[in-house]
Formats: sequence, C-alpha cells, structure tokens
Amino acid sequence: MSPPLAAVTAATVQGLIPEILLVLAAITIYLVGAFTSFRSGWLLAFIGVAIPLWLAAPESVDSLTAFGRWTTLAAGLALVMVQGGDVRPAAHRRLGTCEEAGTFLILLAGLSLVAVADNLVLLFVGLEMVSIPTYVLLGLTRTSARGQEAALKYFFLSLVASAIFLYGMVCLYGIGGDVSFAAIGAKLQSGDITTERMTLAMLPLAVGMLMVGAAFRMAAVPMQFYAPDVYEGTSTPLAGVLSTLPKLAGVVVLIRFIGLAAGATQPGAIAYAELFWQVAAVLAAVTMTIGNLMALVQNNLRRLLACSSIAHAGYLLVGITAAAAGADSISNAGSMRLSGTDATLYYLTTYLLATSGVFAAITYLGHRWPIWSPTTPRPPREEVSTVADLDGLASTNPVVAFALAVFLLSLAGVPPLPGFWGKLSLVTSLLEVDWGMPITIAGRRLWFLTLAITLVINAAIAAAYYLRLIAAMYFKPADRGVQADGGLSAGLAMLGCLVVAVMATLSPRMLAADSSQPSQPEPPSVIASLEIAHHD
Amino acid sequence: MVENSVDPVPVLLALVPALPLLGCLITILQGKLLGARAHLPAVVTIAASAVCSLALLAGTAAEVHGPDGGSEHPSRPVASVHTLWQWVHVDDAIHGVDAVSGVDADAPEDAATRPFAIDVVLRIDPLTATMLSVITCVGLLVAIFSIGYMHGDPGYPRFFALVSAFVFSMTMLVSASNYLIVYVFWEAVGACSYLLIGFWFRKPEAAAAAKKAFLVNRVGDFGLAVAVFLLWMTYGTLDFHDIVSADGTIISGILGQTRLTNADGIVGGTVGTAICLLLLLAACGKSAQAPLHVWLPNAMEGPTPASALIHAATMVTAGVYLVARSAPLFVACPDALVVVSLVGGITALIAGLIATVQNDLKKVLAYSTISQLGYMFVSLGTGTLLGFTAAIFHLVTHAFFKALLFMGAGSVMHSMGGVIDMRRFGGLRQLMPITASTFLIGSLALAGVPPFAGFFSKDEILASLHARAWPGGHGDHAEETHAGADPLSSETLATSAATTIVGDARAPFAMASMKANAADGHDASDHANDAAHDEHAEATTGSLNNPTTWKAIWWMALFTAGLTAFYTFRAVFMTFTGPLRVPEEAGHHAHESPPVMTYPLYILAAASAISGLWIFSTDALGSFLPATPSLWAPAVASTAVPHLFHWDIAMQGTLAAAIGIAIAAYGHYGRRSDEPQMERYLGSLGTVFANRFYFDELYVITVVRPLEMLSSIAAAFDSYVVDGLVDAIGHLPPSLAGVVRRLQSGLIQRYALAGVMGVLVIVASLVWSLKQ
Repeated sequence: MSPPLAAVTAATVQGLIPEILLVLAAITIYLVGAFTSFRSGWLLAFIGVAIPLWLAAPESVDSLTAFGRWTTLAAGLALVMVQGGDVRPAAHRRLGTCEEAGTFLILLAGLSLVAVADNLVLLFVGLEMVSIPTYVLLGLTRTSARGQEAALKYFFLSLVASAIFLYGMVCLYGIGGDVSFAAIGAKLQSGDITTERMTLAMLPLAVGMLMVGAAFRMAAVPMQFYAPDVYEGTSTPLAGVLSTLPKLAGVVVLIRFIGLAAGATQPGAIAYAELFWQVAAVLAAVTMTIGNLMALVQNNLRRLLACSSIAHAGYLLVGITAAAAGADSISNAGSMRLSGTDATLYYLTTYLLATSGVFAAITYLGHRWPIWSPTTPRPPREEVSTVADLDGLASTNPVVAFALAVFLLSLAGVPPLPGFWGKLSLVTSLLEVDWGMPITIAGRRLWFLTLAITLVINAAIAAAYYLRLIAAMYFKPADRGVQADGGLSAGLAMLGCLVVAVMATLSPRMLAADSSQPSQPEPPSVIASLEIAHHD
Repeated sequence: MVENSVDPVPVLLALVPALPLLGCLITILQGKLLGARAHLPAVVTIAASAVCSLALLAGTAAEVHGPDGGSEHPSRPVASVHTLWQWVHVDDAIHGVDAVSGVDADAPEDAATRPFAIDVVLRIDPLTATMLSVITCVGLLVAIFSIGYMHGDPGYPRFFALVSAFVFSMTMLVSASNYLIVYVFWEAVGACSYLLIGFWFRKPEAAAAAKKAFLVNRVGDFGLAVAVFLLWMTYGTLDFHDIVSADGTIISGILGQTRLTNADGIVGGTVGTAICLLLLLAACGKSAQAPLHVWLPNAMEGPTPASALIHAATMVTAGVYLVARSAPLFVACPDALVVVSLVGGITALIAGLIATVQNDLKKVLAYSTISQLGYMFVSLGTGTLLGFTAAIFHLVTHAFFKALLFMGAGSVMHSMGGVIDMRRFGGLRQLMPITASTFLIGSLALAGVPPFAGFFSKDEILASLHARAWPGGHGDHAEETHAGADPLSSETLATSAATTIVGDARAPFAMASMKANAADGHDASDHANDAAHDEHAEATTGSLNNPTTWKAIWWMALFTAGLTAFYTFRAVFMTFTGPLRVPEEAGHHAHESPPVMTYPLYILAAASAISGLWIFSTDALGSFLPATPSLWAPAVASTAVPHLFHWDIAMQGTLAAAIGIAIAAYGHYGRRSDEPQMERYLGSLGTVFANRFYFDELYVITVVRPLEMLSSIAAAFDSYVVDGLVDAIGHLPPSLAGVVRRLQSGLIQRYALAGVMGVLVIVASLVWSLKQ
C-alpha cells in the first residue's frame, strides 16, 4: 500500500513544471490585480503561457501527455490573445481583467493536468480545474442578463455531467480495484474478467457514463443542448474558449480510457473496447447529423459556430470509434497504418487551429459601425453577431475575410487545407480497422463503412453553411461595415492561426502528433510519486 | 545534403523562385496602392532573381570545368539537390517492383509497397542553371518592356502580378527534382498562361483563345499525369535524384546516378515506350507540337509581352526541357525517340507552311515559334548527346531572338494603335528605325543567316540529324559501338573519340561512392563504357526507326529552314520596307517606342547577334550541359562526338536560307504588288495553308461537335433529372433541421433530462449488446 501522500520530490516538481508555472502565473496576476492599479492582466497571462510553451514541455510521460500539454499551451496562447484583445483607453477598460486572466490560466493548468493525470482522482481534479474556472469566466460577464443565463445553464448541466462522469469512474474503479490507470489497465488485460458477474454488470455502466460525461465536454449528443444557448449568451472570446478547450479535455480523457485496453488479448478488455466503439459510433453519427442540421438554420454567428462545434464533436467521435475498435490485438495485428488515436488527435489539432482562428477573427471584427447622425442620440453598440453582419466583408476588410474563408473552408474540409487532411485521416483510420476482412451484414466493418459514409454526407451538408458565410463575405454588398475594434492582439492571433494553417496546408504532417512513441499504459516513476492515498 | 550553413547555393536556389513569388504577392496585395508604379515589385524581384540565376550559372560552370578552368568535356555529373520540406508522406504506398535497387527483392511480401514521399526539392545542375538564366533574363527584359507597352492599361498591376507568378512557376518547374512537383508547376505555368492569354477577358476572342489554350493543354496534361502514375508504378519513386534513407539504403531516383550507371536501370520495352510517349504527349501540349499546336496561334490574343515571354521564349520550351530532362528514359526507347523526331519534323514543316500565308505579324511569329519548337524536338529525337545539347542551344538562342521579334512586333503594334495586320502598314523603318533594325537582326537570327545566333544552333540540330540519317558520316563512332561484347570498338570509342564520357555501372566502387554521397558524382571515365545501346539491333526491330525515316526528317528540316527564311523576310519586307503606310487607328501616335521599350530590344538584339557565335566558338553549352546527370548517363554520353563545324551542313542550311530570302525578296520587290496575297500564288495549296491544314475544323468535327451534343444531352439530364433530385434532397436537411430545432427548447431541465435519459438508453443498449 502506497503512503498516504507520497513525498514531493524534485522529480515531481520537474515533471509538473508547465502546470506549476501556469498556477504561479495565475496567482501573480490575481495579486497584481488586487493590490495594484495594473489592469493588463492578459499581458501577464500571455507571458505566463508563453514561458512554459517556450521552455517546451518537460520530458512527457507519453505521447498523449505531450500532445495534451503542447496543444493546451498553444491553444491557450491563441485564446489569451483573443480574450486580451481589449485595447481601449484605460477609462473604458473593464474591471476584472486580472481576475479573468488568472482564472483562464488556472483553466489551462487544469487542462494540462488532465493530460498528465495517471489516475482517476488526478484526472477528476484536472477536469474540475477546467470546469470551475469556466463557471467563473462565464459568470464574470455579469452585466448582461443573457450572460448570466448562459453561465447558470452551463453551471447546472456541467454539474450533471460531472456527476455522471464521476459515476463512470467509480464503476471503473470497481472493475480495476484501483484508481491508477496502470492497475485498471492491467486488471482489464488480465484473464477473463467477464466471468465475474459484478464486473460484467459494471462494464456497460462505466463505458456509458464515461462517454456521456465526456460528451458534455465535447458538446456531443446527448449533452450537446447547452452549446447554442451558452455560446450565444456569452461573449465571442469565451465562446471560443468553450468550443476548444473542453473539447480537448473530452478527447484526451476518452483516448486515455481507450488506451487502457490497447493491444487487448483478453475477453474483458476486448469487451471494454467493443462497448466503447459501439457507443462512440452511434453517438458520432447522431451528433454530427444533429449539429450540421441545426447549423443550417442558424442566423446568429455564435449559435452557428456552436452547432458547427457539435458537428465536429461528431467527427472526433468517429476517430474515437476507430481508436476503440482498433484497440484489440486482432485489428492491431492487421494492416492499420493510421491508428484512430493519431487520426483523432490530428483532426483535433486542425479543428482547434481553425476554430481559434474563426473566433479570433470575429472577436477582431468587434462592432458594426453605428447609424448615427448628429441630431439623434448615439445608438447602442452593436456587436458583430449575425451572418448578415459579415456581408461584404471582403471589400471592407479583405485580410480578415480571407483569413475567415481559409478557416471556414478548413472546417468544411476542403482540400488542401488542414481540415481536409484531418477528415481524410479520420475516414482512413476507420476504414483500415479490420482491413482485408469481408464486409458482411452483421460484421463491424459494415458499421464502419456506414459511419464513414455518414461522415462524408455530413461534410457535404456542413459545406452549405460554411459556404453561406463565405458567400456573405465575398458576394454580398457591404452594408455598414465593421469597426474592426476587437483589438490588435485578436488580429495577431488570427494572423498567427492563418500562418500556421497555410504552413500546415503546405506540409500537412506538421500538425500530426508524434505517433512514434505509442501511448503507454504504464506511467513512469515521475508521475507515480504523485499518487494519492487510496484503498485497495 | 547541406552540411555547410554558409553554402550560398541553396539560398540562391530558393531565392530564384521565391523572389518573383514575393513580387507577385506584393503586387496582388498592394497593386492598387502602387498604381502606375505597380511594375516595381515585379521588375525588382525578377531582376534580383536573374542575378541569383546568373550566380548559380557561374557557380555551376565553375564546378563543371573544375579549378583548372579547362573547357574539355566534364568527367563527372554536377548536380546538387536541396530539400526545402516534405510535402506528402504516405507509408507503404503501393507500387510496382523495382528491378534496379533490389531493395524490395529480399522481402517478396513487401515487394509492392514503399513510402510515397514527395519532398519539395530544388536541384541545380547545368540544364537547370541554363534554363533558370534564360527564364529570368528574358523575363526581366520582358517586364521592363512591358512598363512601356502596358502603360495606362487598367489591368496594369494584374499584368505584373501574373508575370511574376509565371516566372515563379517556371523557375520552380525547371528546378524541381521530382516529377510530381514538375507536374504541379506544369499546371501552374498553364494557369498563368491561361490568365495572360485571357488578360483582356472582355474581348470575346481573348476569352475564347484562353479557353482553347487551356482545354488543348489539358490533353497534354493528361498525358503527363498518366506518365507520372506509370513512373511511380514502374520505379517506385518520382524523384529525379537518389535518396539515402535513414538506414543507409539508397532509394534510387528515376534520373539518379545509381540508376543511370546501371545498364538495366531504365525500363525500356512497352512500359518504357508508353511512358515516353505520354511524356511526349505532355510536351506536345505545352510546346504546341502537332497535333496539339492549335492553341498557340490563338494565344496571340494576349498582351504581346506575355506572348514574347510565355508563348515564345520560355513556357513553350517546357516540353523541350521535360524531354531533355528525361533523356535517359527516351534513349532507352528508340521507338519513342523516332516518334519525337517525326512529330517535331512534321510540326516544323506544317507550321512553316502555314506561316507563309499569314498576314498577321504576330501569327507569323506564332507559327514560326511552333516550327522552331518542332526543330528542337527533331533534335531531341535523335537521342544523341549532340542532339540534346543542340536542342537546348536552339532553345537558348530562340528565346533571345524570338523574344526580340515578338517585342519588335509589340513595338509595331503599340505605335500602330493595335493594328497588327501586315497588309495595312508598310515602310515602317522610316518611322521606327530602332524597331526596324533590331527586328532585322532577330529575323536574320531566325532565318539562320551566318553569323547570327540561329545559324549556329540550327546548324548543330542539322548536324545531329545528319549523323542520324547517314550514320558514320561524321566520324560518329558511338553509334557503331557494340555493347560491351566487342572490346575493339569499345577501345576505339575510348581512344578515338577523346571527348566521350564513359562510365561503368558495375564497378563496385561506384556503388560504394553512391552510398557515400548520392548527390555527388563519381569519376569513372577511365572505364570503358559497356552500357551503350546497340543501335543497329534496335533499328531492325522498330518499324519506323530506320535510316529512311531519318532521311525524310532531314529533308523536312532542311526545307523548313528555307521556309523559315522565306516567311520571316516576307514579314520584314511587308512591315518595314517600301513606302510608308500607316493605318488610321494609329492616328498621330505613330512614332518610335519610348526608351523603356527600345533598350530591351537593343539587349536582345545584341544577344541574338552574338550569342550563337560565342556559344559555338567556345563550346560553352557543349562542354557544360553534358555534366547534367540526365545527359551524363552512359547511354546518352556514349553518343558524344567531337565538337566540329560541319561545312557541308552549314552550306546546305545557309543555301536554304538564302533561297528563302531571295524568294521573299522577289515576291515583294519583283511583283511590286501592294497586297501580296500568298494564297493566290500558291493556288489551292495556299488555301490549305491559309486554313491551317484544317486542323481546327478537324477538331470541331471530331471533338467539339460530339462533345457539344453530349453536353447538351447531359445538360438536359442535369436540369430535369439531377436538379429535381438534388432540389428534393436539398429540401430534406432544412425540414429535418426544423424538427431538431424544436428540441432546442432552452429549458435547462429538459437538457439535463436528455442527458440522463441518454445515459440510461446507452447503458441499456450496452447491456443488451453484451448479452448477445
């Protein structure tokens, strides 16, 4: 039995440098904000994220950890720039920027921890470190009633999802008899656990609840309903945060859980992986279809992007399906050249890139020019919020329009943009499971084929609403134009995303996660010393 | 490949295409702002690119000739490749079995897979350096000329953006070291050409000409695409160069030295011939060879400087470059070679005949371009080292004098208010003496009058053809060589033909040195060559490949030389001599062009006058180009002959030119006719020529009409059946969306309930699934 709280060694600190730096930066920002008149919290946050990114992640435990950390920091940097876009004169500056910036860094630290976690408890702590700052961030938009409604909706539904997820983890604990992933994995892989009646009952409970819990983070069916309401109610930068970071958490968590059954040879682990891909496949098909159908009829930009975000959760679940289905040793031994895990992570990267870019661009656009004559009182400021607000953007803001078009086309999966390579990898990885076996009525390859076709049809439907935005920008006459007052840093974030997107177009492998180190279920000693007391 | 970080070669090599790209981007983004100065980015970046190209040329030449600066034949191939980044990488792609490298032979189950990796790799070797210099230098002069020519055009920035984009694409095309990248930029130059032909897209003729050029080129591009597929399936790589992979094995590129020094390296036979013919089809499209030449005359609808740069000097020579680059592939397929020559010969003849009856000055030059490109193909088709170098030699001189002629024609058109019909003006030498004198120099060069540039390059082409038609006529021992089996003739080869480059592929040290540095060459000149092909044995197998065919091509080429002189001087006489006549469109603008247009003419006139003599007398290309790996390949290099001046051939060529000029002079001065109608003199033949041998009509009947019928049927099907179906399906998602939308009630308790119900449904179905 491990000691109640393992001694914190130098190795532990070293292994957690990015997370520690993020939390330290957050505390610094809080203190600065509380005791000085300094209000540029986002500037400090930028430094706070840039330093760990610049230091590069320390020796990461496995490729998933490295991916999670790196992506968190990179996306975090972009989102800090998007949120910190406020460069209005000091008199107009909102209060509380330091609080927001610090809270956002805590969120990033939590997300990073999700990737690092090697046991259920740490994982849950990480997830809550993502959720709670999100509530705070949403709640800080306290001036608008819609913002408050959004914050409350997110809060209650997130609680439900967390509870369901926690139940799932409890069931997993029941199966493995341990909170450590290594131990649970070993248990799953050892002998035929399906003969134990309790385990047999707990497998579907665990898988179903974990999936639904993660579905909330990813905004997938059946927990997708909140997304349009919350995105619409909150601010554009925060909608950007919601559509990227929790999705990253959800995907990393699911891949971590699927990794428990990697290379499965025993019936127990095989059944576990089987259940996973069955749920994921159905949820994927339903999620992307619902997301895309809903997006077709939206006129509000943030609602539309929320629906698009749901659809992309569906695409990501296709990759999860492939990852889970390919986990057992039979298909692993086959000719799978591209694992579902790699495809999912690659797709996630392209999604994060394009989505951050879109939200950066819309944040940068800021407000529309008011219709205002000297005789009438100044009208309230109108945020760029509907599709019609983008009319004629290509003639008034050609660079922004071009960048937006690139991001949207990437999201639509138009070759040769990164999003296309992502979708291609998803479909490839899915079809390569059990490659060479005949497609039969009852066989699972028929399922995969159906799912792949569903994805392609959905991509076609999705093109309709992405192209609608592009058509508005390029083919409609400009109405009033936009002020582009969202701040320089949001514009820079947009340009940064554009540059990366163009580079990734020229060299699609640039974004691919390093698949040379396979995801190891055994955690090395650095993180093992973090284990928290638990009962056997 | 680049160990030394201060090595300037990769930087220069990357700058050559990158600078015009930068110029293009600046012009696109800031063109409106620059206004009348929109030419600046293009001119400055192309000038810098030209400087880089010349530096590369000088560097490559220094490397070829070695430190002693001797001009004897190079003893080793000179090429270096520089990888910019990896573009595509697919593990375990399927390809055919590579017979040469033997990499896959040990593992039969893996024999058909290999990573499909496409790197963006630039190479520099004598051929590329030559092409780069020609492209950027002519490009620079054309860009400067355009400052005057395009002045005041509403599309001024667009023109310069396109010219920069073209120079970028073309330099990438000739410096890429991979067939797929070549294909990409093959398309890119095609796109630039399309956009420039249709530059004045509001003119229906220009739009139609652009479309025609694009569609006809698609046929050729199709050939290139299939050729690339076949190359992949045959060789399992698309790289030109060898790659040393991480584990030390060599993946031999198609034109890499490992393969070229191996006697069986290049696949011949049916597959090889198919590849070569497909490459030839591609070249026919881009270089306007029969039967795909029909687009080039119409392409004259574009701005004249664009015609000078793209449709005369550079882009249309891409086909010549492609064949020269793929020389080892062609040499391994004698049947394909003779087709190359035949196509070239027939094209040269047909285009020359059509040119005699054209009354549009630019059209005369367009058909002349087709004809001269045909010459280059004739030369390539001989499959000898002399033939390949002669083709490139002619490419270089032709780039100078044809750009000069086009820009001269542009100068005429500029001052005649857009009129280019030779019947409507005359005696312009009084009005524009500079244009007239430079045009005359260009014409002398084109007609092949000694000592102007065209004379020397044409002479080399005729010499290479003559050696093919009358083997042994000029001490051409290489063709008599019997492969390896005959030690006597091998020895003869090594001793009597002192300039022959030979290599021995089977020498073990050669392979070892390949492994050490695949990009570098090795010296194997002291070994007798045993990779030469037995021409006689092959000649008996090919039905076309016999001396009679070659003799026919020779006479075609010689007759075309006379024709060239005739139509060129017919144009000169009609335009510049006689009493001054100016069309009313010119108004009072009829004057000599401004200096910004005439200075490029001076430079090109100087190049047209002396470049041939200089290159021939110093053997600048003959000692330089053979160091290109493709031409250094033993199969090609073994056909080398001493650098000689062939008095008999030169006399015949000059005589043909003199007769042509004399007839033109008689036609113009002797008849004293105001409107010389060539068709009238030639009778029904003239009608055939004037109707361009009915090629366009043939295409209308065989391709256009059936396609139009098919497309009208398809259109009907589309609008009635498909559209109806699509509309029906299109209504489906929004109506479904209405249903889904209703679920989005905004009530949080329903959302939570949905989540919990979801859990229940999922868990229940999982339990059910597990029970199964």
